[in-house]
This record gives sequence, C-alpha cells and structure tokens, in this order.
Amino acid sequence: MKRETVVLGLGNPLMSDEGVGVRVLERLSALAERYPLVEFVDAGTGGMSLLHLLEGRGKAVIIDCARMGIEPGRIRRFTAEQARSVKRQAHMSLHEADILNIIDLSRELDQCPDEIVIFGIQPKSIRPGQELSRELADRMDDYIDSVCEELDG
Amino acid sequence: MSKTVNIDVEHVTRIEGHGNILVNASGGRVKNVQWRVPEAPRFFEAMVRGRSYEDIQTIVSRICGICSITHSLAATKAVESALGIKVSEQADKIRILMHYSEQLQSHILHIGYLAAPDFFGVPSVVPLVAKAGDVVKAVIRLHRLANEWSDLIGGRTTHPVTLTPGGFTATPSEQQFRELQERLRGCAGDLKIVADAVLSVAENIPAFERETEYVSLRQDNPPTYTFYHGDITSTDYDGTVRINDWKTVANEYVSEQSTAKWAKWNRDSYAVGALARFNNNGDLLSDGAKELAGTFGLEKGCCNPFMNTVAQLVETVHVVQTSIEMIDELLTAGLRAEKAGSSPRAGKSSGCVEAPRGILFHEYEFDGKGNCVAADICIPTNQNHANIQKDFEKFVPEIIDEGEDAVRRKLEMLVRAYDPCISCSTHTLDVQFIR
Repeated sequence: MKRETVVLGLGNPLMSDEGVGVRVLERLSALAERYPLVEFVDAGTGGMSLLHLLEGRGKAVIIDCARMGIEPGRIRRFTAEQARSVKRQAHMSLHEADILNIIDLSRELDQCPDEIVIFGIQPKSIRPGQELSRELADRMDDYIDSVCEELDG
Repeated sequence: MSKTVNIDVEHVTRIEGHGNILVNASGGRVKNVQWRVPEAPRFFEAMVRGRSYEDIQTIVSRICGICSITHSLAATKAVESALGIKVSEQADKIRILMHYSEQLQSHILHIGYLAAPDFFGVPSVVPLVAKAGDVVKAVIRLHRLANEWSDLIGGRTTHPVTLTPGGFTATPSEQQFRELQERLRGCAGDLKIVADAVLSVAENIPAFERETEYVSLRQDNPPTYTFYHGDITSTDYDGTVRINDWKTVANEYVSEQSTAKWAKWNRDSYAVGALARFNNNGDLLSDGAKELAGTFGLEKGCCNPFMNTVAQLVETVHVVQTSIEMIDELLTAGLRAEKAGSSPRAGKSSGCVEAPRGILFHEYEFDGKGNCVAADICIPTNQNHANIQKDFEKFVPEIIDEGEDAVRRKLEMLVRAYDPCISCSTHTLDVQFIR
C-alpha cells in the first residue's frame, strides 16, 4: 500500500546546485519517523519514473532546483497550476523529462494526486561538482523548515 | 520542383545544449547538411579521481537517469577487472537480471514516449493518450513493471545502491524472485498490445537505407544474445576485439562541425544500439523475439536506422523471456547468502556493457590504495554521432522535395530513432509563473 503523501527530491548531485533537491531529501529522510504517512524518495534524474511515484497518492511534494528569476538560494512554493515550463524541448531524447510535463501526462491519465506542491530553489550555479554553492548550503535549514511546515500543515 | 529549404533546428537547453540540425538547400540541391552536437559532459571523469574503488559505481550511477544501472555495471566490471576481484555465478546472474530491467525500462519508454507519437502522427505522448489510450496504458504498465524490477534488485528505481565490487550488498529473496517471475509471465499481453500497435502503423516507418558498420558485444561461450559479457565485434569484422582494446574500436576524433567527439572503426562511421546488437547476434534471440522480428520483416543485415525502434521492441520480448528462464536457473540452483569481498591494489582496466542505446566503455586506473587516478568513459551516443551525420547526408537529398516541414520532421525522427542521450545530467526546471 502506497503512503498517502510522497516527497520527491529531484536533481543531480554531481552538478552542484542542480542536486539541491536530492540534498534536501537526504536531510528530510532523517526525519522519516516523524512522518509515518509520508514516503521520502530520492528520485534523482529518473525522468518518466516520476509518473509511477505520483500515481496512487493523495499529495505530492516536489523539491527541485528551478530557474525562477529570483535571488540565488531563495526557495519558493508553488503549485503545478501556477507555473508553466519554458524549457525548450526537442522531444529527441528521453533525457529531457520535465516534471511539469510529467504532471500533465499524469493528469491526462487520470492518476495524478489531488494536490501537488513544488518547492523550487533558485540555483547560484550549475556546474560539475558535488558541493552546493554557499548561497544554498547556508539556507539548508530554511529548506527543511519549509517542507516540514508543508507536511505539518 | 525548385525549392529553397533552410532548417536550423536549435535546441539549446540549459548548459550542455542539444543536437542541432542544419540544412541549406535551394533549387532542390542540397548545399549543406549538418548534425551538430556540443560536447557531452565528461566532468564525471574528473569527479571520480581520488575516490575509492568502492565508491565509483555509486558516483557514475548519477551520470544518467535512464542508463544508471548500465553505467554502474560498466564501472563495477572495470573496477573488478582492474583489481582482480571475483564475482560468483549467482551474483553474475542477478546482475544480468538487473541489467535486463533497465533494457526493458528504457526501450519501452523510447518506443512509447518518443517513437510512438511519431508513428501515430502526434507531437508527444500527451495527445497520444486520446488517440491510443490503451497502448499508452500498456506502455505505462510495462514501464512500471521494469521500474519495480530495477527497484527490487538495485534497491531503488534509478541510481542503484546495492551493487558493490565483488557482488551485491543485498539481493532479493526466493519469494521475491518468484513474484517477479510471475509478473514477467503476466506482461506478455501488454508486450503484444505495444507490438501490435507499432505494427499497425509500421508503414509510417520511413524506408530509408544506408549500409554502415554495426558495433556491439558478442559472446561465444556460451553463445548468447549478450548485453553484458563478451568482446567487441562488428558487421565488418569477423573476430572479436578484447574489451581492454576498446580504443582501437572507438578511435575517437574531433569533427570540425561539432565539439563532441566522433568515432569510427572500419568505415567513416559506425552505429551502436539495438539494431547493431540484432545485426551481430540476432540468431541468438529468444524464440518469441525472433518471431516478432519476423512479423516486422526485420532480418540480419537491416540497414534502415529507423528500424532501431523495432529492434528495441524485439529486445523487450527477449529480455522478458530470458529473465523468466534465468530466475528458474537461480532458484533451481538455490539462492545462497553471499558476502561480497574485495581489497584494494593498483591496477588499470576497462569494463564494457551494452547500454540500451549501445555499447558503453568505462576505463579506470587505481593506485595501491585503491584510489582512482584516471578515468575514461565513452558513451554510445558519441559513437553514433558520425553515423547520424552520414545518414543525414544520404537521407536529405532523398526527401528534399517533400518541403521544409517534412524534412525537419523526418530528420528529428531519425535522430530520435538512435535514442540519443544528449542531455542527461541535469533536469532543472525552467519556469515562468502564470499571473
């Protein structure tokens, strides 16, 4: 039986700030005991696999690096309805999966959670490396608090 | 017909960029055709330097979200070869089963989400739901099965965590293997739905042919349609080349029109992937897979790159049928609790497996403490770039009179048929807020 809520950390921890979702997820996983109805998943860059992680849930909370045109390190909560992807896709490769498009497909298939909340974190830089920029690393506690507040809500 | 055609399909997304298609033609004469690709990221080679041999497979599993098991396996094989680490027959079989899960996962995604919209004449999988909902649902069920299969053996769906030099840190129980086997038996209906759907639109697969060299693994002892063991062969080469000599096959070089490295062996380009495996080893497929190939008229020697998608479909049947048999073998022999053991030493070696999209090479060198001092990775997509360019050069003059839209669509479709991995290391969201 799937748990009611899923928290997904997305990104590639080999690409510095791009991996912030996975880094936040690692920290949140340590709090799993506090949230017995929540499943925490490091979804990495699994692309279309997200479709199956969303299915059968009441709520999904997604944490991802997002270019939103705000100050690096800032976290912003939004819903899938409030944002549209402006990523230019060629549909040439399976490697272009975009969570907003996957949510669209999930809706089309009528298997989408009723509530999807996305926490976008504005990157400072995306380059090869396993460390987060200072602007993001210093705010890690804020990110955890934001997600916990959502789960406690 | 006299026409001017100018196509410049530029797909720059984020940092790595995508393949760009460039065509200039006027009066029905093609002046310039280019498949231009920015360098695939090789940063991970630097990233593993200084790291312990025990950590390599975990790091490289993040190179790609689609081929993470494949990268982990190639790295693990290289590490084990370099350090002289032995693997039990049981662990070896379980690894092959794990690798098959990724072949199914990736192929079914490619067929269902990328190729099928082309064949059905819709722009993406989302509108395909309305047009062929049953097929999309079968694709999704198969994809879910492949994901859960990866999860069962790898410890999670993508980026496996159970693989370690010498074996596994954890393996499924007999009961779990039996359940997996039941599910694999049960997916035949879904495979048929997908195969029938592709067959129903097979006339939309362009009838383009160009002879080229097809490179893949080959395993003679025992003869196997291999994704994992064996040495390197090609349709232009009778024997095999040892894995450690892969650089004499890939012969990477820099092309003027692209910053990505290209590869050539016995001709000016070669192809890797499902069609290459089929052309080298097709007679070793499972019975059901052979039968399906026959239904599509796919035969060894096929040189239509668009048929790569059909070869993938054939391979999905093969990996499912073979896995059912392999689970029987494992359970008949009786599962043993094993502890993977290894110790560091200096060494250098390569590891090779077939990624869903073609042959993949990893090479590492370690110092006496088992820390990595050098790494080299050659991905299948880079090996296909020169071949895509050669296809473009022959294909464009054949279709140039069909007009700009048709030429663009068919060239994009051709690139998609190769199932390229050209933007796999980041998935950052790029959003605008709706006011």
